[in-house]
Amino acid sequence: MATVVFDSIFKSFGSTKVLHGISLDIANGEFMVLVGPSGCGKSTLLRMLAGLEDIGGGTIAIDGRVVNDLDSKDRDIAMVFQSYALYPHMTVGENMGFSLRLRNDERKRIEDRVAHAARILNLEPYLKRYPRELSGGQRQRVAMGRAIVRDPKVFLFDEPLSNLDAKLRVAMRAEIKALHQRLKTTTVYVTHDQVEAMTMADRIAVMNDGRIEQLGRPLELYDRPANLFVAQFIGSPAMNVFDGTYRNGAVEALGARWPCSAKAHEGQPVKYGIRPVHFDFGSGVEAEVVVVEPMGAETELVVKIGGQSLTVATHGRSPAAPGDRISLAPNAKHAHLFDAASGARL
Amino acid sequence: MTTWQVWGALLLAPYVLVFFVFVLYPVSYGLWLARNPESYRTLFEDPIFFTTVVNTIFFLLVAVNLKFVLALYLSGFFVHDRRWIRWLSVIFILPWAMPAIPTIFSIRFMFNPEWGVVNQTIFRLTGLDGPNWLTNPDLAMAMAMGVHIWKALPFWTLILMAGRLAIPKELYEAASVDGATAWQKFKYVTWPSLRTLYITSTLLSLIWTLGDFNSVYLLTGGQPADKTHVLATLGIRYIRLDQLDHAMATIVVALPFVLPLVYFMMRRLSGDEQKTSQ
Ligand SMILES: Nc1ncnc2c1ncn2[C@@H]1O[C@H](COP(=O)(O)OP(=O)(O)OP(=O)(O)O)[C@@H](O)[C@H]1O
Ligand SMILES: [Mg+2]
Repeated sequence: MATVVFDSIFKSFGSTKVLHGISLDIANGEFMVLVGPSGCGKSTLLRMLAGLEDIGGGTIAIDGRVVNDLDSKDRDIAMVFQSYALYPHMTVGENMGFSLRLRNDERKRIEDRVAHAARILNLEPYLKRYPRELSGGQRQRVAMGRAIVRDPKVFLFDEPLSNLDAKLRVAMRAEIKALHQRLKTTTVYVTHDQVEAMTMADRIAVMNDGRIEQLGRPLELYDRPANLFVAQFIGSPAMNVFDGTYRNGAVEALGARWPCSAKAHEGQPVKYGIRPVHFDFGSGVEAEVVVVEPMGAETELVVKIGGQSLTVATHGRSPAAPGDRISLAPNAKHAHLFDAASGARL
Repeated sequence: MTTWQVWGALLLAPYVLVFFVFVLYPVSYGLWLARNPESYRTLFEDPIFFTTVVNTIFFLLVAVNLKFVLALYLSGFFVHDRRWIRWLSVIFILPWAMPAIPTIFSIRFMFNPEWGVVNQTIFRLTGLDGPNWLTNPDLAMAMAMGVHIWKALPFWTLILMAGRLAIPKELYEAASVDGATAWQKFKYVTWPSLRTLYITSTLLSLIWTLGDFNSVYLLTGGQPADKTHVLATLGIRYIRLDQLDHAMATIVVALPFVLPLVYFMMRRLSGDEQKTSQ
């Protein structure tokens, strides 16, 4: 168990700057998720922590000790790769015990720890098999097993679930989370899937283009996104955002008045953001239903207002049909205002 | 015969023909030339023959293994993705790409004990006479192995490089994180993946090296005193002495070396080893 501190980390590959001064403190035992669109530098940051990539500038400290010049093998971290990276010539058991064997642990102790990890991960029947004889989900579990037998200071995950089908992904998500609650090992988890981030993280760092846009607890990011990028990245279905002008305590946009609790200058151009779930039906903005997507527990409507498509989500079933005209009441308390130029929250 | 069988026979005919003309006929003719048991008796009694067999075994074991250890090592160097290493690899390939006759002859001239550039340089720098590179039999044999290795090393280095490049990079990264040193990465990641290729290549190289005529003949011509022959060059010596039956007998004598090698080779290639190679 350990803390991890990134202090103004820079990185470029040749002339391409990839990370522009990232600072991030991760607490002991915390489950930190780095989330962001493809190419934003998440893996690069994680690989620098693992010692697989040179640190361009700044310092990384694990447990208070700067590790910039420390080899991977001396950092006492364990990593789960997207491709799993299982050793093809070793059995599942040998794969899992490999790091202990390198440390010259006693045979008995290695066997015990491997057996223990195999029990946690339901891998007991497969210990004698080779990785090529396993399914994707089983391989993924072996990769996790390889990490947990070691009891390292920090767990690193780089999109460990992205090669799995949707159902397995949900199941493994729960398993990883349960595992963390049990082991309480500091964890850094990289994903581009905001649902994974929301469901697993203690705190999330939303990254974009080599910077951290916002750092916070999942619901903080959801309730108070610091800027447009985070607003649109976090939450599914995504927040509706459109241009408008602030007048008399509300926003004029798409030919209607949109209530809000945030304040802006009179006449200031703003972006108005509202999540699909934050509409009530009733008197308010007139809209035309374009698409109805029933999903059982909830229904998503795509509606047109003033030429713009918006998504509205309702609990349960909806009687609406395409072509219907409905009236929507946006919930002022949950409306977000962003500066039109900078995208910052108002 | 059905049309199906006629077509089968027709399509097979060229292969059968090639096999007869280029394999069966010359091999039988050679065996026929070497049919006289007397020629084996005189061959075995020729002291040169005994030296040659020892030389050949020595050449195969030392040169081939040394070559492969070097190739394994160098392949690990050349897989590094640096610009200067890529340029260096181009230069490194040259000995293999060059024709054998002029290159080996020029080595022979360079190492001429009296007027070769090597010994002249040694004399100029130290005032001492250099070694008799090509006129001392042991040294000449070592030089021939050196030439063989120099010439064939690039090829095998390339083959092993291809093998190394096929190993996923993440395996090394996983091993780093698991705490492996460079040597342990070689032992647990590189070697298990490369082993099959390494052994198959070694077998193939043994077969080819047994037939390597150039490295020895062009460098030493079997001299001094016919002490540096290998089986591949001894046949030529007998032909030049107009002893065709002895020449053929030499080739037949090489068969016990070649056949087991070919057998192991074919077994490996036919997939007996698939379990370890995957
Ligand atoms: N070895 C490299 N050489 C050059 N550029 C690289 C290298 N590795 C990564 N990059 C670049 O750095 C940027 C960040 O890459 P990184 O792999 O960290 O992205 P990511 O956030 O993990 O994306 P993804 O979700 O697609 O995995 C990308 O623009 C990528 O092209
Ligand atoms: Mg990545």
